[in-house]
Amino acid sequence: MKRKRRVLIGKVGLDGHEVGARVVAKALADAGMEVIYTGLRQTPEMIARTAIEEGVDLIGISILSGSHMTLLPEILKILNRYKADDIPLIAGGIIPADDIPVLKQLGVKEIFPPDTPTAEIVDVVEKLIASR
Amino acid sequence: MSDRKSKALEQDQKDWEEECLGPSLASKPERKDRFVTDIGLETARVYTPLDLEQIGFDYGENVGFPGAYPFTRGITPTMYRAEPWVIRAYSGFGDPVTCNERYKRLVECGADEIVMAIDLPTQVGYDSDHLMARGEVGKVGVAIDTLRDMEILFEGIPLNKLKRVSMLGNSFSPIALSLFIALGEKQGLSPSDFVVDLQNDILKEYIARGTYIFPIRPSVRVTADTIGYCAKHARHWYPSTLCANHINAAGAGSTKAAAFALSNGLCYMRHLLERGYAIDEIAPLFSMFLDERADFFVAICHCRAMRRVWAKVMKERMGARDPASMTLKITAYSHGRETMLEPENNIVRITLAALAYVLGGVQFLYNASYDEVLGTPKGEAAKIAVRTQQILAYEMGITHTVDPLGGSYFIETLTSQIEKQILQEIDKVEGMGGAIAAIENGYYLSAITEGAIRRQREFDRGERVAVGVTKFRTETQMPSGAFRIDPAMEQKQVERLVQVRKERNGEKVRKTLEEVREVAQGEGNLVPPVLEAVRAYASIGEICDVLRQVYGEYQAKEYISPAGHKG
Repeated sequence: MKRKRRVLIGKVGLDGHEVGARVVAKALADAGMEVIYTGLRQTPEMIARTAIEEGVDLIGISILSGSHMTLLPEILKILNRYKADDIPLIAGGIIPADDIPVLKQLGVKEIFPPDTPTAEIVDVVEKLIASR
Repeated sequence: MSDRKSKALEQDQKDWEEECLGPSLASKPERKDRFVTDIGLETARVYTPLDLEQIGFDYGENVGFPGAYPFTRGITPTMYRAEPWVIRAYSGFGDPVTCNERYKRLVECGADEIVMAIDLPTQVGYDSDHLMARGEVGKVGVAIDTLRDMEILFEGIPLNKLKRVSMLGNSFSPIALSLFIALGEKQGLSPSDFVVDLQNDILKEYIARGTYIFPIRPSVRVTADTIGYCAKHARHWYPSTLCANHINAAGAGSTKAAAFALSNGLCYMRHLLERGYAIDEIAPLFSMFLDERADFFVAICHCRAMRRVWAKVMKERMGARDPASMTLKITAYSHGRETMLEPENNIVRITLAALAYVLGGVQFLYNASYDEVLGTPKGEAAKIAVRTQQILAYEMGITHTVDPLGGSYFIETLTSQIEKQILQEIDKVEGMGGAIAAIENGYYLSAITEGAIRRQREFDRGERVAVGVTKFRTETQMPSGAFRIDPAMEQKQVERLVQVRKERNGEKVRKTLEEVREVAQGEGNLVPPVLEAVRAYASIGEICDVLRQVYGEYQAKEYISPAGHKG
């Protein structure tokens, strides 16, 4: 039997707003995926390590604190150090339009602004996992 | 209404339904089968005296006069005719030097109260040079490490020129309080000269906002110490604002959120009662931060209903005798529906939210900046947030009569329905054993998560309209040019902290921190020793580290989705 797709939904840094993360986690679970939610206050190191230990197919980070330009590249760097940079990283939250091309250039696969329908997120996640 | 009159009205309504409404619906049906609010109440087509009769409405008992029990119409007899609400400006970013400029401009254009937005490291008790602070310094608010930062931040802004001055300080309120007391001293002021307002509501952080430090029980003690200190030494201050706002935003819905917030408040009050305070000594010092963003009329009635609930709970359940204990001071924040696309439209959304709270009779109000959804507000946007309130307060006669919508069939029916929902929810939490039990048994969080998922489902189905986004959309590109915090700022803030550590009397800092530890281990009030440490320029991180050593840190349980593979 084919293994279930596994996704890690994480909160990085000190940001305590977790509605978005919980709603997306539920939508992905409803779409038949296994979802591991990290809870709050994770360091980039903790995110990368959990992702590798749990063998996930994708990492989704929710971030609303404005620290995305430090913390998201840090996750990519650590994944790379552990030779796990084939795990796609996506993000959602309050991320200014100007930062999106920069983050994508660095390797973040997709960035979802607030007001994104969950169906769209599920769709992108499925495609990213399928193309691995 | 007499029985005869009400019978006649019922007949009139029947006739109207047959002769007028029926044909109208047949030729032009309504847009929806049901008009349902976010709190699950269905809004009727039209309200009449029959609705009031059905809920057993009694003007004297349910509404009465402003400034008199049960305070439905307002907490003073004259409300905004004497003085409009306190116009708050919530602002903070970067380091204290840059932020000071913004504060000065906000005061210049008439803001009554500065509410310091502080960055996340400060909120969770880490200094700017802590490992966990990396990338976060000065981001969602201004960075504060020591009293020195406060001196810079309020340079040229005497605290007694403001109606109030405020900081969140949910997890470390004795430090927040002490920073203001010590800053006042530096400005030559005693606590009687100015007014401090703190959020200081830690319980909601465990379910909605996440800036906790210590485990739940010691946190309640830390919170209560601040309230207790003010009860003895600064009774005109506002040491705790019970927050429904974040709980509603997270998904609970406004009535559950208000009930949870009040239940959290009852937990602090009971803790203080156990420590020997009297209810009338502490209840007047509380205020509430209410929130309803989905429905204009629910927002108005929510404030009216909550005043009634507060009055009843304080009088009937907590045994308060002083009317000051029964009057609910309300804070509100006009925000919640802003969109990233076409952000200028947010000015209209924020104005309508503010109008609802004004019609609801709040005491303290702040408006979001229309660009807040994109990041740190620009100066011009922060000014518009203040101006909007001034327009509501002084133009077009909005403030000329008390509770202008009171007596409306719709408003009174809705107010009673909301009151009922809130009271039922309070009873439910009380039945579980109160707020701490409802956090620990997962009830609060499941109510929030269910609500958040329901709202998202409604959004996905297109039932939640955001003009310019889900309907009438013309733009595809998100706006660019967001306000930037200078990336070099973090380093500068760290250097300032290092400098303070070098210049202060290290021996004195060590001694005061030891006293904080001693009191934390015992039963005394934390504020006096913390105040000494703050005066000696101990940092927030250093004081919190001592408390972490005594109390430990809160570990949130990991949430795994229902389809997840391990718990």
